[in-house]
Amino acid sequence: MKNEKKSERRLAYILVAPSLLLILAVAIWPVIQSFYFSLFDYRLNNPAKSSLHLDYSLNLERYLESYPFLMNALKQEVAQATGEEKEQLASLQERLQQVDEEIRADEEVAKRYKQVDEILNNFEVPSEEIKIVSIDEQAAQDLTKTMQDAKQTLKTLNENGQLKQGDKLTGLANGLSGAIIEPNFVGLAHYKNYFTDARLWKALWNTTVFTVISVSIELVLGLAIALLINKAFFGRGLVRATILIPWAIPTAVSALMWKFLYDGQNGIVAKYFADIGIINNMSELLTTGVGAMFAVIFSDVWKTTPYMALLLLAGLQTIPSSLYEAASIDGATKWQQFVKITLPLLKSSILVALLFRTLDAFRVFDLIFVLTGGGPANSTETISILAYKVMFSQTNFGGGSALAVIVFICVAIISTIYIKFLGADLISDRK
Amino acid sequence: MQKKAGPLFYVFLFVFVFLVMFPFLWILLSSIKPLSELFGEEAFNWFTSHPTLKSYVSVFVNYPFLKYLWNSTVIATITTVYTVFVAAFAAYAIARLDFKGKSVILGIVLSVSMFPQIATISPIYMFVKKFGLTNSYLGLIIPYTTFALPLSIWLLVTFFRKIPFDLEEAAKMDGATPLQTYFKVILPLAVPGIFTTSILVFIAAWNEFLFALTINTAENYKTVPVGIAMFQGQYTIPWGEISAATVIVTIPLVIMVLLFQRRIVSGLTSGSVKE
Repeated sequence: MKNEKKSERRLAYILVAPSLLLILAVAIWPVIQSFYFSLFDYRLNNPAKSSLHLDYSLNLERYLESYPFLMNALKQEVAQATGEEKEQLASLQERLQQVDEEIRADEEVAKRYKQVDEILNNFEVPSEEIKIVSIDEQAAQDLTKTMQDAKQTLKTLNENGQLKQGDKLTGLANGLSGAIIEPNFVGLAHYKNYFTDARLWKALWNTTVFTVISVSIELVLGLAIALLINKAFFGRGLVRATILIPWAIPTAVSALMWKFLYDGQNGIVAKYFADIGIINNMSELLTTGVGAMFAVIFSDVWKTTPYMALLLLAGLQTIPSSLYEAASIDGATKWQQFVKITLPLLKSSILVALLFRTLDAFRVFDLIFVLTGGGPANSTETISILAYKVMFSQTNFGGGSALAVIVFICVAIISTIYIKFLGADLISDRK
Repeated sequence: MQKKAGPLFYVFLFVFVFLVMFPFLWILLSSIKPLSELFGEEAFNWFTSHPTLKSYVSVFVNYPFLKYLWNSTVIATITTVYTVFVAAFAAYAIARLDFKGKSVILGIVLSVSMFPQIATISPIYMFVKKFGLTNSYLGLIIPYTTFALPLSIWLLVTFFRKIPFDLEEAAKMDGATPLQTYFKVILPLAVPGIFTTSILVFIAAWNEFLFALTINTAENYKTVPVGIAMFQGQYTIPWGEISAATVIVTIPLVIMVLLFQRRIVSGLTSGSVKE
């Protein structure tokens, strides 16, 4: 019997393992990486910042495309120059030689140095992994300092017309200094910047306004609808199907549909709203901040109230009707029955529905991206939209990741609060 | 609370259904209007006197809409089949077998399903870019695992739990191993639950927007939601075509919902109701 238990346990772990590994690889690991990205000045459109560097590194390809030629050219210059210039150039040559030796003093660097050199000699292109090598901070600073001096000296000499191959030399010197990659680790700087950035607070505020208002309306309306249709009636299946359609249609498509209905010139909903006086004129819906927020919330309520009603209806149907019969025999009013029986027994259904809806609303992206794009003047820009814009429009992956981490933390806080109220109900073994 | 519904109730029901369906109705009516009636005074007429299918033709002729539909179908189908397959094993273990760490695993699954997509997008984008998977089917199927797998596990666990436990006891008595029990006893009974889970995962994958928007940017690999959303040009929005395309993607959904509404509802509510 004990053996059987053991083999059952082993089987269980084997069955769970693939799913757990996948979840770890495609969901948990990326979140950890997002946090790691957020600690760097990580920009895709800037070659020096397009990967993460904790230490100083050297682009050996660039280095070896400049260094030998620079030394060669310097040698020729030294041979031709006289007096003070000759001394200056000779000392420069010597310093460069020294730094080169200092860099190669490290065994790993020396090995790669040779490798890349061979690849370049064969007129091939070294891969990213081979050509970027991390170097000692001291060596990196010496190289930077030397190159600064070298550039200065060469520039002055060139301007005075004392060099034969002046432009070539300065060009090579520039190339060489471009081989040094500074670490782009910035620690928590992105977070610090964003916490003093009005745009972030505005986005957080917009997200909160959207979430609180739309979820409360959906809860109240959803509960009312659920109570009303919790009875036997003709055409039940049809009503249920109707309810499911807004939920099933892609949010991006329904957002576009609403954009048409809200249109300032041709939108039928905008016209009806203006006719009954909710708005002053038709264009107000999408061109003013308040109007746009209203429009976004209205669309969300349309799309998810039916879904909310469905969840609550399922909860209502588990309440035994005998409870209500007993209550009415005892003379309880409808309102008393609602407060004393329905609400307490529906509590966990309501909390679960609220939890999922709140999180969904807080992460809102598709609806706003398509309907308003965050406008007008960022008045409907939520935190997810802001993070997306920073990442993909400004190609600032470091900053965008910091914002994404902020969204993640908010979501974690919201779920923790709800789950505190729910207790372990949600994941407990129900039999 | 099983009362008989009065006539007032049906009036309310009609108004409710009408309000919910109004946007679709209007889009349907607009999709058969000629272009000139979509703007100006005539834009607010309910019925056009010159119905035309021009917008529908244009959707297929001027846009690679058929390609979008195909891409979405392939991506959503593969995602569904593979995640439900992997999840079925895990869900069986969690629901029916006895082992330590069960609630921790279920907790992880639930928390991952609450992850905001935006928090995983940058590393996933870098990953698919590095392996040359942008603008490919695999480039979306892999990221879709992030939401499809937790959703599948969560739903399947609730379905597996509903199967009577006596069956397993009986199988055990007859000397069946847990794996035999799974394939011969549990799996056949779980088919309806697996089917329901598949529908919900398919809809989730079909509707996904953020990953599709960032990863598959080439015309040939866009999915339906991104494709339609990108119909709008810089200055003009082709409302006729958008209406037609919306109707085209809504009709299969309506049919699916009508056919499977019971299953969908049971899937949607299974995680939230204590029985």
